[in-house]
Amino acid sequence: MLKGTRIEKHFGGLKAITNLDFEIHQGEIVGMIGPNGSGKTTLFNLISGLLKLDTGKIEFEGSTISGLAPYRIAALGVGRTFQIVRPLMELTLLENVTIAVLYGRSNVKTVDMAREIAMSILTFIGLAPRFDNLPGQLGLEGRKRLEIARALGSKPKVLLLDEVFAGMNPKEIGGAIDLTFRIRDEYGVTVFMVEHVMKAIMRTCDRVIALRNGMKIADGVPEMVANNPEVIRAYLGDNYAKN
Amino acid sequence: MGQDSGWSKRTLLLVIVFISCVTIFPWLGPPVYFISFAFNVFIYITLATSWNIIGGYTGYLSFGHVAFFGIGAYAAAIFGMWFGLSPALNILASIPAGLVSMLLAILVGYPCLRLRGPYFAVITLCFAFVTELTIRNLDFLGGADGLWLKGLALPIEVSRSIFFELMLVLTLVTLFVANRIEKSKFGSGLRAIKEDEEVAQTMAINTPKLKITAFAISAFFPGVAGGLYACYLTYIHPDIVFDVNVSILIVLMALFGGGAFWFGPLVGATILTFVNEGLSTFVKAEYARIIYGCLFIIVIIFMPNGILEFAKTRMVKKPAKFEAAVK
Repeated sequence: MLKGTRIEKHFGGLKAITNLDFEIHQGEIVGMIGPNGSGKTTLFNLISGLLKLDTGKIEFEGSTISGLAPYRIAALGVGRTFQIVRPLMELTLLENVTIAVLYGRSNVKTVDMAREIAMSILTFIGLAPRFDNLPGQLGLEGRKRLEIARALGSKPKVLLLDEVFAGMNPKEIGGAIDLTFRIRDEYGVTVFMVEHVMKAIMRTCDRVIALRNGMKIADGVPEMVANNPEVIRAYLGDNYAKN
Repeated sequence: MGQDSGWSKRTLLLVIVFISCVTIFPWLGPPVYFISFAFNVFIYITLATSWNIIGGYTGYLSFGHVAFFGIGAYAAAIFGMWFGLSPALNILASIPAGLVSMLLAILVGYPCLRLRGPYFAVITLCFAFVTELTIRNLDFLGGADGLWLKGLALPIEVSRSIFFELMLVLTLVTLFVANRIEKSKFGSGLRAIKEDEEVAQTMAINTPKLKITAFAISAFFPGVAGGLYACYLTYIHPDIVFDVNVSILIVLMALFGGGAFWFGPLVGATILTFVNEGLSTFVKAEYARIIYGCLFIIVIIFMPNGILEFAKTRMVKKPAKFEAAVK
């Protein structure tokens, strides 16, 4: 469904992504792990078109999307959230999601129809009672939920979740894990997520991709990747990898 | 994209009665000065409201908007000269003059709308200067001497009253368009661009197209207003129709009233034109400028979102009903 071939991205002398291949299949929940600076968010920015590739290509449903403008990629059905949440601060929660619905793939004709769909998404995400609030009135967890709600508003086929679980307490993480499954099962959205919270990765993902210094070091089921010596070395150093 | 998309019957009735009163005003035989003054108020409302579509809704502060007014004025004058139009037909030429402004906005907007914030403000300001200098140095456009147009062969009260009505119509159309945009899909896309352009792109909003469209619309109405103004004054000169003070004034008017609403510039332009006129009538000119400046400083410090937003937050906000939104 979403496929990258020999992707490279440099920032001046820094190689952010080196010769990376990846593939996401329809209906999967795929996790991406790696230490800070390993290129996870860069990869998301490349997929969503906010950054341009140096070499290689990214395909979505068989057609090349690398090189397209971000709004074209989004219109094809690639949605995303931002690691540092970026709600439209002057607009209410309902307006945030309604605009996404209006311009997304739902093909609505009127603002009223879009508002209805947006309201159902807010209900799904658990923010419906606060639809008239401004994003500034929400806590971090609420803002992360809003970020997901807005992404769902565009009716994506695949959703890139950038560290949705970061900064949450254990109870909130439980809720977010549940939400991740429901996004796939109720909305039929394939999920590709960057995550540091291993508990969330182990419980939700069908498959995990591990990056280090912009290179892929592991790709497989969560248990296998978590026990991969290369991955342990990347996080904890050589001493732990030997056992 | 407000919750209430239609006006109540009572509001609508009040608006219609008010507009009717304004319409018959010049025919009641008031001094010509009042008619001309109202004409100026209408021009400023039109300019500030048009500016607000790119500046207020989209967040691209254009500081050269007077250029579109001036281009409209010159275009109308040139059409009149080239085609030997009668004064009445020359007034109609204001509409194609607006289209000329619009076309130029598309040409200029294509490269300039890639810039944001202060860069966009500066480049639009430069655009206005360059346009003025070009016209000042082109002999077939009258150069530094300006251009004369044929006036209507009517008594001054009648001719002024006619222009009063025409400008009133243009103002109402501009306000109507701004109102429709605010509540439309287009308008909500512009708001998303204003808030965060990158996020807007990830929401599948075609930001370059929306910005160009907004800029083109916001140039059209000033162009038509410029055309009408040229016919009204029967003489145009770069100093008059490209006055940089007007550029800055319309920005201030829109922001004074509140850039997020279609009626913000209406309120801002009306109040400020009255204040300006009052000050220059009753106070010495030098002091008038100082008072005027202080007024802006006060508004910008204490009401950064305009007086309407300031008034709104001071009114008790009723808790919105959950059902109201789903309805």
